[in-house]
Amino acid sequence: MKDFYSRRKFLRDAPLCLCALTFSSKFTRLENWFEVIPAAFAAEPPLKEVKFYRKLDDLRIECGICPKECKIADSERGYCGNKENRKGTYYTLVYSQACAVHNDPIEKKPLFHYLPGTNALSIATAGCNFECKFCQNWQIAQFRPEQVESTTVTPEQVVKMAKDQGSPTIAYTYSEPVVFYEYMYDTARLGRYQGIGSVMISNGYIKEEPLVELCKYLTAVKIDLKAFTERFYRETCSGELKPVLDTLEKLKKIGIWYEIVVLIVPTLNDSEKEIREMSEWIKKRLGCDVPVHFTRFHPMYKIKNLPPTPVNTLERARKIAQELGLHYVYIGNVPGHEGENTYCPNCKKMVIRRTGFLIIENRLKAGKCSFCNYPIPGVWEMPPALQVKKL
Amino acid sequence: MSLPLLSFFKPNVEAKEASPVTVTSPSGDRAQVVILQQQGILKGDTVDVNLIKKLLNQGVCHVTGNSLPSGAWKELFTPKDIVGIKVNCLGGKGISTHPELVMAVVEGLRIAGVPGSNIIIWDRLTNELEAVGYKVNWQGEGVRCFGTDSNYEQEVEEVGSVGSCFSSILSRQCTALINMPVLKDHDLSGVSLSLKNFYGAIHNPNKYHDNNCDPFIADLNSHPLIRKKLRLIICDGLKGMYNGGPGFKPHGSWAFQGIIISRDPVSLDRIGCEIIEEKRKEKGLPSLKEVGREPKHITTAFKKGLGIGDMKKIEVIRS
Repeated sequence: MKDFYSRRKFLRDAPLCLCALTFSSKFTRLENWFEVIPAAFAAEPPLKEVKFYRKLDDLRIECGICPKECKIADSERGYCGNKENRKGTYYTLVYSQACAVHNDPIEKKPLFHYLPGTNALSIATAGCNFECKFCQNWQIAQFRPEQVESTTVTPEQVVKMAKDQGSPTIAYTYSEPVVFYEYMYDTARLGRYQGIGSVMISNGYIKEEPLVELCKYLTAVKIDLKAFTERFYRETCSGELKPVLDTLEKLKKIGIWYEIVVLIVPTLNDSEKEIREMSEWIKKRLGCDVPVHFTRFHPMYKIKNLPPTPVNTLERARKIAQELGLHYVYIGNVPGHEGENTYCPNCKKMVIRRTGFLIIENRLKAGKCSFCNYPIPGVWEMPPALQVKKL
Repeated sequence: MSLPLLSFFKPNVEAKEASPVTVTSPSGDRAQVVILQQQGILKGDTVDVNLIKKLLNQGVCHVTGNSLPSGAWKELFTPKDIVGIKVNCLGGKGISTHPELVMAVVEGLRIAGVPGSNIIIWDRLTNELEAVGYKVNWQGEGVRCFGTDSNYEQEVEEVGSVGSCFSSILSRQCTALINMPVLKDHDLSGVSLSLKNFYGAIHNPNKYHDNNCDPFIADLNSHPLIRKKLRLIICDGLKGMYNGGPGFKPHGSWAFQGIIISRDPVSLDRIGCEIIEEKRKEKGLPSLKEVGREPKHITTAFKKGLGIGDMKKIEVIRS
C-alpha cells in the first residue's frame, strides 16, 4: 500500500503519539483548576434564560433551539435535561457550568483543515439532545447537570484561559454544545472580539435561526453525520437525519468552514450502499472539498456487543468516497494510518502528515500545496478579531 | 420550615389499634384498591396527623386482610427489611407527598419492628426533599432521608425500551419499597401516579417523554429492582391535581382529602386515573385522551403483567 506507515516511522513517532494520547485521552480533572463540588450539593448557579423558545398557554413553553421542539410543562425539562421551565420561563441550568475543561489538539476534534498543530481550549456541560447508543462521553452527555461534577467558569474566564494557555481557539465539544447554546454563544462572541476563535463540535441537530445567529461568531464547525438513513438516526440516536442534512447545507450557504465525521459502526451503518449514497449526497450538495472523516467505533455505552470497526471497513469507506471524487477523505481513531494525512488533490503529494493528534510534517504554504501551489481549502490563519462598532 | 422527623420517629408501639376493618383477601388474578377519604384531614395546608394515621392503618388492614394494623404491617415488612420510601417532591410544597403521611407510614414500619435506621425516605434530589419540609438525615440515628443526587449506578441497566443508571438507594440499599406518589395530572403521561413515580429513580427520565412516556414507564417498572422490591403503594391524595401537572397549579388542584392504597401498581393507577378523569369531567374539561394525553402506560403495564388493569377484576373499597 502506497505510503503506508512503516515500522521505522512508527517507532520514531510512537513516543510523541503516546504522550499526546496520555494528555488528551481524558478530560482535565477540574480540581486541578477549580474547587469542584457535585452540582447537587452546590448552591444553584445563577439562571440564564434560554435564547430561543416561545411561551404557550398554562405556563408551558416550546423550545426553539433544536428540531425536537420540546413542549415543556412548568417544573419539567426538555429532552436535553439541562433546561427547565420555571413558572413559564425557560432557563438553562448549565450557563457557565463547565463539567469538562481541557486544552486539546485541534486534530482531536477532529478538524484537519483548521490551524493545524494548534490547541483548542475545549469545554462542555452536561446534556445532549440525542441519545446515541454508542455515545463516547455518555457520563456527561447523558446525565443531568445535578448529577455531574461541574464548576463555574464564566465566558470571560474561558476566553482568558484560552489566551493564557496560548490556544487560539475555544472548542465547544465532548457533550452537545447545541444544548448549552447560551454559554457557547456568549463565549464565542466575547472571544471573537478578542481574537480568539470558536469551533462547535456538534451533531448538527439545531434549528436554522439559532444556527445562523451563532455562526456570526464561530470560526469553524464539525458535524457528526451519524449515518445516512432515518432508521439509524431514529433507532440508534433518537434523532432525525433530515435536519442534520439541512444544517450541513446551511453551513455551506453561510460560508463557514466545516468538516464532517462519520463514525462507522459495524453492521449498523457500514454498508457499501449507504457509504456510497452518503458520499454522493456530499459531493452533490456540499462539493468535493468538504473533509470527511470515517472514524473507528469502539464498544461503549449501550452498544457493547459489537467489535471495534475493522480498519479495512474504514479503508473501504474511504476508497468509495475518494472514487466518487471527494478530495479530503480521512480515517480516524487509527493512529499511524496513512488515512490521517492530507494529500494534495492536484499533485497527489502528502502536504500534512499526522500521527494521532500530532502534526509530524506540514508542507502547506499560505494554504497552498508547497509542491504545486494548488490551494487547499481550510482555515489556515485565524481571522482578524471583530471590531466593536463605534457609534 | 423542616419538620423534626427524628423526634417524630420514636416508636409508638403502644398506640391504640384502629377499629377492626372488613377483611377482603386478595387473590392472584384480582386486585384491591382502597380509597380512604375523610373531610377535614387537610385544612388549608395543615394535615390532621391523628386522622391520617387512622386512615392509613385502616387501608393497610384492608390490603393485607388483617384485622389489626400491627398484624397488617408485620405481614408486609420484617425487622430485617431495609425499606425505601419513594416519595414525590417535584411539585414543591404545593403538590408533593406530605411528610405527615410519610411519618405515619414510618410509625407503621416501626410497629412491624423495622429499625429507624433501616428506613430511607428518598427522592431524586436532597434539596427537593428539604424544600417540601423533610429533614435530611444522611447517616445519623433514626430514619434516614436524602436524595439520590449524583449517586447513580455506574453501569446502564437495559430493560425493554429503557436504558438507565438506577439510583444506588434503590439498587444497593433498599430490600423493600413503599411507593408514595401523589394524585396528579401530568402534561406528558396523562397522570403521574405509582408507575410514573419511578422516573425519579433513574438518571435520564427526560429521554423517555415521547409518545406519552409509553412504553417507557411500563418497561422501567418491569425491572426486577422495582418489581421484586415493591411491597406497597400509598398514593397521597390529600390534595390532587386534575389539570396542569406536574408542577403545582392552584387552579388545577383540589382537596381530595384522602389516600389510595394498593399492593398492585397497575390497579392503583387505573383507579387514580379514574378519579382524575371524574374531576376533569366535573370541571368541564375534556378527557385526557381528548387532549392527547391518554395514560397509555397503564394499559401497557397491564399487558406486561405488572398488575391488574381490567376494571372488572379490581375490587375498589371505599372508606
